[in-house]
Amino acid sequence: MICHFCDTIHEAEPIPEGSRVSCVCCDATLYQNRPASLARVTSFSVTALLLMLVVHTAPFITMDAADLRTKLTLPGAAMTLIEEGSPIVGVGVALFTIVTPFVLSSGLVYVCAPLMFGKSAPGAMTVTRWMNRTEPWNMIEVFLLGVLVSLLKLGHLAELHFGIGFWAFTVLMFCMAAATAAIDRQELWDRLEVANEK
Amino acid sequence: MKEVGDITKMPRGIDRGLAGCHVCHKVAPVSVERCPRCGSHLHLRKKDSIARTLALVVASAVMYVPANILPIMNFRELGVRTESTIISGLIQFWNAGSYPIALVIFTASILIPFMKIASLLWLCAAAKGKIPNSGKTLGKVYWITELLGRWSMVDIFVVAILVTMVQLGNYMRVTPGPGALAFASVVILTMFAAMSFDPKLLWDQLDSPPEKTGPNPDNEP
Repeated sequence: MICHFCDTIHEAEPIPEGSRVSCVCCDATLYQNRPASLARVTSFSVTALLLMLVVHTAPFITMDAADLRTKLTLPGAAMTLIEEGSPIVGVGVALFTIVTPFVLSSGLVYVCAPLMFGKSAPGAMTVTRWMNRTEPWNMIEVFLLGVLVSLLKLGHLAELHFGIGFWAFTVLMFCMAAATAAIDRQELWDRLEVANEK
Repeated sequence: MKEVGDITKMPRGIDRGLAGCHVCHKVAPVSVERCPRCGSHLHLRKKDSIARTLALVVASAVMYVPANILPIMNFRELGVRTESTIISGLIQFWNAGSYPIALVIFTASILIPFMKIASLLWLCAAAKGKIPNSGKTLGKVYWITELLGRWSMVDIFVVAILVTMVQLGNYMRVTPGPGALAFASVVILTMFAAMSFDPKLLWDQLDSPPEKTGPNPDNEP
């Protein structure tokens, strides 16, 4: 094994579940053996996908002011930005809060579910490579912070009601965090390699 | 655990021509070019790491100026137009007595982008050997820089939400301003900059300190 931060070569040895080994040179985590990784990733990602259905259709927040009612949904927010003259920012918001989480969780299901049975889905390696790339761009937890800040800005202005979308989104955030935290990269790649050789 | 000797004399992959795959972490000789497991390109160090990082950092530093000067949102209340910049939004919260939220916005929108730009410049300078370098500390700096980057996006999301929610006809409207685009590009550029930096260069610098061929003329009396 080679440390990704300082290039130091280490001898890889099996370690007990739930423990981690750090680089002797720079203390960075080399490898963490995560328990029941594939099952956890799959179940949390499936839950996340189901929640996305709710999140994108049910309103987050409804606001009543001056006889007018406005609603917030994720696709709605991206669309309004595009219509109001900021198409690039709108596309960015859609990418970071809709596309990336979807690609990530559906990719995880696609790769990890068959792997639990020792099978490799067609193109699983390519999908895993792409997920690696999209992971840092998943910003749903940042969006939730944005929702909270906006609520404080709007609170004195109008009457606000939390919708199902908001609660679904909060749970979605925890599911995505749990799914990505459960990924055991070493195990994932080792199993992919074995499954592909069959 | 193995005995820890002098950390500058650890066996490095580069000395033996071994590369750790960036994607799947498999170790393979760099001469095979593509990772035998996942097919990604293998390289000992990220290509043109410092030049790319510097270019992206400079670009984001340039964008940092309009991001803070131009309005990120325009409010139109009963025909009266007010522009809102990141700093004016911050002051509003502060004056209203919402100190915690003002601190969150200050950290996410002003402090983190600034710190990212500064720390990436510092890392590049250290990797070039221009300033003293401690691989351990700077490695942590790099790790934090990569971790925090996304949180700066929060202000863009606030704009998105306000623009969507506050569409009350003639009574009140919010539209996005040009500052939003500038700010989003700062966040994205610094994220790419952090990704293109290779922390292994810091250790290369420690392993072989100022490699100047021949005697340095500056040191001769």
